[in-house]
Order: sequence, then C-alpha cells, then structure tokens
Amino acid sequence: MEQDTRTTTDIRGSYELKQEEKRKKMQTFQRGRMMRRLALWTGILLLVVGGVYGMVKLVSSSKVPSAVLTETISVTDWVKGNRNSKVVLIEYSDFQCPACGAYYPIVKRVTEEFGDKIAFVYRHFPLQQHRNARIASYAAEAAGKQGKFFEMHDKIFESQAAWSESLSADEAFAKFAGELGLDLEQYKNDSNSSEVKARIDQSYQSGVRSSVNATPTFFLNGKQIQPRGYDDFKAIINNELTTRS
Amino acid sequence: MNSLHVPKWLFVSIALVSFVGFLDATYLTAQHYLGFELNCSVFNGCETVTTSEYSVVAGVPVALLGALYYFTLFIGMFVYFDLQDKRVLRVLMSLTLLGFLASLWFLYLQVFVIKALCFYCLVSATTSTLLFVFGMLALFRFRPIE
Repeated sequence: MEQDTRTTTDIRGSYELKQEEKRKKMQTFQRGRMMRRLALWTGILLLVVGGVYGMVKLVSSSKVPSAVLTETISVTDWVKGNRNSKVVLIEYSDFQCPACGAYYPIVKRVTEEFGDKIAFVYRHFPLQQHRNARIASYAAEAAGKQGKFFEMHDKIFESQAAWSESLSADEAFAKFAGELGLDLEQYKNDSNSSEVKARIDQSYQSGVRSSVNATPTFFLNGKQIQPRGYDDFKAIINNELTTRS
Repeated sequence: MNSLHVPKWLFVSIALVSFVGFLDATYLTAQHYLGFELNCSVFNGCETVTTSEYSVVAGVPVALLGALYYFTLFIGMFVYFDLQDKRVLRVLMSLTLLGFLASLWFLYLQVFVIKALCFYCLVSATTSTLLFVFGMLALFRFRPIE
C-alpha cells in the first residue's frame, strides 16, 4: 500500500515536473519569437526611416547652386537698367525653354520695378533639345543691331508656345521684326550673319565656362541664385542692394 | 519561413522591388516638396513631367501616392510573413493590378499628352510592372494553401 502511494506521488510529481518544463520551454520559445518579431520590425522601421532620410538628403544636396560666373558684365552684353550699377543680375537663358518662359514675366516685373538700381544682362544659352532656340536667339541679336534687343526678347517669350514646335519659326520672328518697325532687309541679313552666330556661340561658351548646365541660370553679382518666384527674387535683390550701398 | 505559402525567392523579390519603388517614389515626392526644379537641363531635357498639371491629383502629388503604394506592399509583405495570414497576401497581390494600371496611365500621359519622359517615373513603371507579374505568380501559380 505504502509503496503504491509513493509510486503515485512519484508519477504525479514527475508529471507536474514535465508540465513545468514544457511551460518553461514554451515561454522561452515565445520569448524568442517575440524577440525575433521585435528585431524584424525594428529592422524594417530603420530601413524605411533611413530610406526616406537618404532620399530627402539626396534631393536637398542636389539643390546646392554649383555654377560660378567667370565673365562679368562687358560692353558686348545686352543690358537693361543701369550698366554701371553695383548690382548686376545675369541670366543665361534659352528662348524655347518652357521654364525660361515661366520666369520671363517674373524677370520683367523685377527689372521694371528696380529700373536703374540694377543692371540686368541677358545671355544666350540655347539647348540642343530645342530646335528653334538658336533661330530665336539670332532674331533677338539681329533686332539688337537695330537697338531693339529687349523688345524682340519680350515678343519672343510672350509668344513662346506659338513658335516652339513650329517648322517656320523664322517667319514668326520676321513678322515681329516688322511689328517693331525694323529695317527688314538688314534684319534678314543680320539674323543669317556669321557674326551673329559667333556671338551666340561666345555667349554659350561663357555659360559652359561658368558651369551653367540648365536654363534659366541666374547670377547676382557673380553668385548663382535660385529665386522661387517674384517675392523671393525681389527679396534677394533688395538684400544685395543693402549690402552694396 | 518554412510555412510561407509563396516560394522564398518570390517573397524576397516582392519585398526588394517594392522597396526600390518606395525609394524612387520618395525621391520624387521629396523633389516635389523641396526641389523647386523649374528649368531645362543639358542632361535630362525639361522638367516638364514632374512639374506638369498631371503630377498632382486633387492636391496630392502622384509621387506621394506612389510612395504610399510601395510602402503598403513592402510593409504588407512582412505583416504577411509575421502573421502568416494568407488573406493579407491575397489583398496585397490584388493591389499590384491597381499599381500596374496606374503606371500604364502615367506612361500614356508621358508619351502622348506631355510628350516628355521622366527617368524616375520610368523606374516606377518598371517596378510596378514587376510587382504585378510577381503578384499574379503569387496568386495563381503559387496559390496560397486554403
């Protein structure tokens, strides 16, 4: 009898022991699983946060202006405003570039507002992908020879959408020349002259030397600026005017 | 990973491609909010695509929608891996059809309407097409066991 009881207690004891062991094993297993899940989700969180941070960093670092002006204002430049001003704004532009077209009214407003307080210089930087950009710059140069560079410049920008993809853009420009009251014979000769073409090349090359790789690129007293609209543009110029006076 | 219904290579591929898509779309979203990229460049033509009127739907940049889509897929794959719930996989893989159709629409807009291609948008078109193929494989070829 005694022996029997002992045996039952033993059996019961060992059964409970096994249960306890099982529970412990289960606990360690579950703790391990929790740890693995935690590690997995921490890893994923880090990956996502790191990815977003990296991309934002990439975008903001590519926004740092990298162009440095090599040629300052000279007698060969087309200037609006006061040529001798201490504040010189230079634009490298392409008549067919939609972004330049979008900036045109802003620049016009800025130059009208500041008037003789600043000098505004327009330099040609016609891009390969724009079929009519060069012809447009020839037209502006030819008009410039008769003292109407900025008048032609305005007309060209104001009608950008109309001639951009046209196969007869030169006719549109000749029409503008007529509207501006230019001597058409001379205008035609000038717009086809090697002298005008050489001037465009020189302007383009000066842009290349200044590391210009996009249009429009603006330089204010030699430093590249990236104005975001009219208010920004005005603030940047005002700031320069105060520091220079 | 032994109880995963889809093969390991497929799981890894989906996670990887959706992460690439996520990075790409995040880059475009950052560009939209931070980079005032209004110019024509010697290297990549004009920024006409990312600044066009089609780049925003009801005030939300499509790049952000894309980033959310890839994010959902990427996180969702790990939710599925964690919970081993085949319904999660089925929903995710059906989503890839949506992503694929959206990409077709954007490709159409770029080629026929805006008439300009944007490199990062083409990357996104590639990733969403791949994800669609993977999604269909996961749904029909390697059908989750009921």
